[in-house]
Amino acid sequence: MLSSLPEAIGILLSFEGLLVLVLGTILGITLGAMPGIGSTVAVAIVLPFTLTMSQAPAVLLLLAVYAGSVYGGSIAAILINTPGTPQSAATCLDGYPMAQRGDAGLALGWATVASVVGGLVSAVVLIFAAPQLAAFALQFGPIETFSLILLGMTCIVSVSTGSVINGLTAGMIGIFLSTVGGDPILGEMRFTFDNWQLYAGFNLLAVVIGVFALSEVLMRASAPIRTVSELVKFNGVKLPSLAMWKGRFRNLGKSVLIGNVIGVLPGTGAATAAFISYAEGRRSSPNKENFGKGEPDGIVASEAANNAVTGGALVPTMALGIPGDAITAVMLATLTLHGITPGPKLVEDNPTLIAAIFAGFFIINLLLLPLGMLLSRVAAPILRVREAFMMTAIVILCAVGIYFVRGNPFDLLVLGGAGVVGFILRRQGFPMAPLVIGMVLGPTLELTLRQGLILTDGSFKAFFTGSPIALVLAVTAVIALAFPFLRSLKRKTP
Amino acid sequence: MKRITSERVLVQFGLLIVAAAFFVTTFTQTFTPVDLGQSPMFFPRIILVLWMCLALIGLIQSMRQNTHTTPISSWLRLSVVLIATLLYTNTIASEGFFLPSVLFALVCLPAFGRRNPWLIGIFALAVPGSLVLLFNHMLGMPLPTSGFTYLF
Repeated sequence: MLSSLPEAIGILLSFEGLLVLVLGTILGITLGAMPGIGSTVAVAIVLPFTLTMSQAPAVLLLLAVYAGSVYGGSIAAILINTPGTPQSAATCLDGYPMAQRGDAGLALGWATVASVVGGLVSAVVLIFAAPQLAAFALQFGPIETFSLILLGMTCIVSVSTGSVINGLTAGMIGIFLSTVGGDPILGEMRFTFDNWQLYAGFNLLAVVIGVFALSEVLMRASAPIRTVSELVKFNGVKLPSLAMWKGRFRNLGKSVLIGNVIGVLPGTGAATAAFISYAEGRRSSPNKENFGKGEPDGIVASEAANNAVTGGALVPTMALGIPGDAITAVMLATLTLHGITPGPKLVEDNPTLIAAIFAGFFIINLLLLPLGMLLSRVAAPILRVREAFMMTAIVILCAVGIYFVRGNPFDLLVLGGAGVVGFILRRQGFPMAPLVIGMVLGPTLELTLRQGLILTDGSFKAFFTGSPIALVLAVTAVIALAFPFLRSLKRKTP
Repeated sequence: MKRITSERVLVQFGLLIVAAAFFVTTFTQTFTPVDLGQSPMFFPRIILVLWMCLALIGLIQSMRQNTHTTPISSWLRLSVVLIATLLYTNTIASEGFFLPSVLFALVCLPAFGRRNPWLIGIFALAVPGSLVLLFNHMLGMPLPTSGFTYLF
């Protein structure tokens, strides 16, 4: 991969490369700052527009939006006490009280520096960990790959928010949707009911955008209309001096570590990391009595951890083709839509692309500092944009984006249908990430299962007796699946 | 009785029925005869059986638990936005992008509580208009146009 670095840097320094890095970060910060949009919806809105781009700029644009939106969430959290993204919820706890005290600029300064450090360290972790993991996974044949995907799916579903059963059901619906259309080995049509529009299966993008973005609009339509919060006095970002950092480096280091470790674990997500890090900061900080009253350590703990998750979450996505959460599932869908097969061979087959993504991710996190400082000022009035305009614009942009991809009106029907189904399921607490993950990983799961059955003469038992790696992965999958049930049983036992 | 007819139970029951219906259709479709493991329906059947089992567990759980779904704040607003969204995604192909988008914005903005007619009008014309201008006339990547004119 290192030998491809000069070529990758060439891509990054091209006009298109620089444009997507800067524009993506700006878009990410702006969308992330809008309360309720969130990183997943932000990435989903931008996704269709990447399809006219070549592979590297497309993935870089989404990465920039992802990293930017995670940071952008802190702007709303600090200025109006409403987290722009769920992962910034912990930032509200100390960010807003500090802003109320008249130190909004300084609070955003702490958040900016912590976000940049968290993001940069996570980029380094991604650069070093992903190729190692991928190199190990290259030993995998169809049987091991099948077990690996099974493990990925159980891990993701077992840590789903809300009911585990609902998460698993959503995963099954996603896998089932992926079977509609041509059979991967024989090419015969399944579940198409003589509708030629379904011969190529459901458009992944239409489903992703429908269940995340469109269903969000319907969720908002079903909830009370939000009032716009008052802005606190804010005159731009004020970075904390080096003297102010004295005694806080340990908290920063610990938060970055927590973010990276949690990011690598599939299904945990940045919001969990931010709260765990905040709790740990509160436990170990010398200023623990000030937590909740505008303590900088609280902002640092939350923001460093949630930005550190971004790189960590990309490790299993890039190295193994297993998405860790909803956003990385959308990323994986992007790779698929661009003709890139996610999985262990991704690094080996596309060294230039991977080098560009890794180097680009590092640059994006560097860009957060100047662009964050600049945009915080511009983004403040955006916080006052009414929900009505935001929601209407989302639907229009989603429709444009979907039509844009293939020019197929049927995709718009799928978008509408997915939005309504997503809304009905979300209302009942079904998480949508397993559905998308199921749809992305379903085809590989089926293909490797059937290839494995050919290799073992139809013996499913030989899957696990013939390969120690597959056995270890399968046992881990069973433990991951059983863990939430055992935990709930333990809770019920007095 | 209330627990059995709750929204959550109905949704779980609906999921069970959908999975069962798809499972039944796997036996009505004909394919080239091959080994069981290589049949095009082998994998979907496994998934559908798992889906049915999970939906059944979910259904039993919902009937036993007394958890309530968040109440809908305004059925009128939800219905208007839902119908407008579905009509919008269905009419773009036939009526072009611009006109359905303007109508959608004119319906959706008041539904979300906006009352200023000037603001609604400007937004409804400016957002779709700027997108048509950008895609159709600047980028040369046309969005669908109406039957009245090729301009929008």
